[in-house]
Amino acid sequence: MENSSVPQSPTLASRVNSFVEWLFDGFKPTVPKRPKVFNDALLGNLLFARHEVAVIDCPVLQRLRRIKQTGLVYYVFPTATHTRFEHSLGVATLAERCFNAIRERSHVEGTAFGADGDRSRGDLAHLRMAALLHDVGHGLCSHASEQIYELLSDLQEFRNDPEYVKNSPGEILSYLIVKSPKFQAWFHEYVIQGCQADLNLERISNLILGRIDDPDKWFLANIISSAYDADKLDYIARDSRYCGLALTVDLPRFLSMISIAKYRDSRVLVLRNYVPLEQILFSKMTLTGSVYQHQKVKCLDSMLRSMVGHIVDNAAQTPVPVRGRFISFADPVEYLYTTDDEFFWQPNGFGDGYIQTMLARFRYRDLFVRCLEISRRTVINWDDGRQRLIDLNKQPYRLAEVEAEIHKGLSANVRSTCGNHDIRLSVPGIPSIKTGDALIQTSKDADVENIERYFPLEQWTEAYGHNKWRSFIYAPKEIAAAVRDAAIPVLEKYTGLKMDAKKSNQACHL
Amino acid sequence: MAATQQALLPDHILGAVLALAEKEHARQAGSERLAFRSHDFHLQDIFSDLRKQYPILKAFVFSESGPQPYSPILNESVSRLQLSGLIGRENPDYEVVFVRPAANLFYDEVVKESLDSSEIKQLDQIAVAFLSRVTTV
Repeated sequence: MENSSVPQSPTLASRVNSFVEWLFDGFKPTVPKRPKVFNDALLGNLLFARHEVAVIDCPVLQRLRRIKQTGLVYYVFPTATHTRFEHSLGVATLAERCFNAIRERSHVEGTAFGADGDRSRGDLAHLRMAALLHDVGHGLCSHASEQIYELLSDLQEFRNDPEYVKNSPGEILSYLIVKSPKFQAWFHEYVIQGCQADLNLERISNLILGRIDDPDKWFLANIISSAYDADKLDYIARDSRYCGLALTVDLPRFLSMISIAKYRDSRVLVLRNYVPLEQILFSKMTLTGSVYQHQKVKCLDSMLRSMVGHIVDNAAQTPVPVRGRFISFADPVEYLYTTDDEFFWQPNGFGDGYIQTMLARFRYRDLFVRCLEISRRTVINWDDGRQRLIDLNKQPYRLAEVEAEIHKGLSANVRSTCGNHDIRLSVPGIPSIKTGDALIQTSKDADVENIERYFPLEQWTEAYGHNKWRSFIYAPKEIAAAVRDAAIPVLEKYTGLKMDAKKSNQACHL
Repeated sequence: MAATQQALLPDHILGAVLALAEKEHARQAGSERLAFRSHDFHLQDIFSDLRKQYPILKAFVFSESGPQPYSPILNESVSRLQLSGLIGRENPDYEVVFVRPAANLFYDEVVKESLDSSEIKQLDQIAVAFLSRVTTV
């Protein structure tokens, strides 16, 4: 066969466009007649202009109603059922509040603002639209699936490109959706022409990635993506509210402290005082320890990884049906086709026996349990270093090798009742802060300095890593003790870590 | 020892630079412990420069957009080395970074065997250049 006849895999951008075409299939677009007010439990009444309502009503945004903001967290915190949809409305609103706060401070301090505050054209209109669209690249269970597909080769190419290295996989997919020919065509007809909105999608897509052509307006990009962006302001307040944690983001205080300053040829977002950032970081660390990396949440993420891994390995037998086609999670775009609601709650289920069993586990909350806790409390030689364990966070093939080795170490009787996918080693990452653009200027004439000169950002990650970070091995409860016994020598072989089984048993209630 | 040979990750490169810098520091100053003043943004500046000269640092991709060069991969690597217990930060201001014995152990037992002689030579040179850019304490 000649090379020319070998089918070429379409590029990521082209596959994203196919997804957007699929998403719009059957949608009957209309031009909204009037603005709309949304009543948000967190931020109150949110007013959206006619052209924004057009975007809110389109399938790209409506799809986010079916993706929970915090993935599977609601199995642990029952009220955490808020979605990426309301978060997107919140980020658009908070982006404008940041914009207005900076404008007000510039006016009070007698400095140039230089941005246009019109809702249907100019800087504010672009800022709000970018905020509204910033999360459209989220797929099944939000970050839970992002952790799985981020290591696929398509996205690794982006991650190694200086243009995109700062961006998360979800941001890159959002960017590609907004840049897709299908979305552009619809946007041009129904938003730009239909609603007479003077908007440039190229500029909006760049803002989603946290960049802008004009260095004098770099602060607008900072509002979308930085250490204290509108996204963070919304998700910290929203996630803590819906998880029932009494954390506070003092928004009025924060807004009164932001400004813009000249820094290395750009005008950037700065804080006049580090205290609001301290509060944001404290809340983020608390959320990370209590919610995002809660042991049961990591267990749920691991169970999702089991299902996805099984589907990838058995694509022919267990494809996931989604409106008129089947997917098998072979590439990052396939995670966009299905949403939390559609994946877990199909009336007749889908897949082979294993997938049906796992779906039933989710339905009845019959979750895997902890077999081993790997932490400074349970590892005898913790101070000798644990790099080989941490490495597994970035080496999925090696992680799978460890899990398979544990499975191999089970007795024949136990092994016959389970597969590799029933043994999950979870090695969480560490919360990160975009320190590169966390800047402080104590007064309008003071030097612009990195926030670390005032506030020990690194202390937070150091303290979190030392005191709170834990890795776990999970399995179905029927085989938990057997998996624990098989895992201890395998763990030592692969990572050099020697377990104190008694302490681990106490931690795992085993 | 690991069951199979490790693939080289950015964390390993950074860990190797710091372990070799400690050996170089012992040679130059006679002190077996390397501790230096540095916040993350200092490390960003240093590695942004060093990357231009040494191809082995190419994994630390720097963003070209924005007012200053910034590599999230470097930022993550620093955090992961802390999490791994290869480096630490000292109270009370956390400005002082120190290299823990585990970093040398990891370099000698795991990383070194994945490197060829030209890569080790590059890392040695980077370690010397790195030491000249930080204030040791």
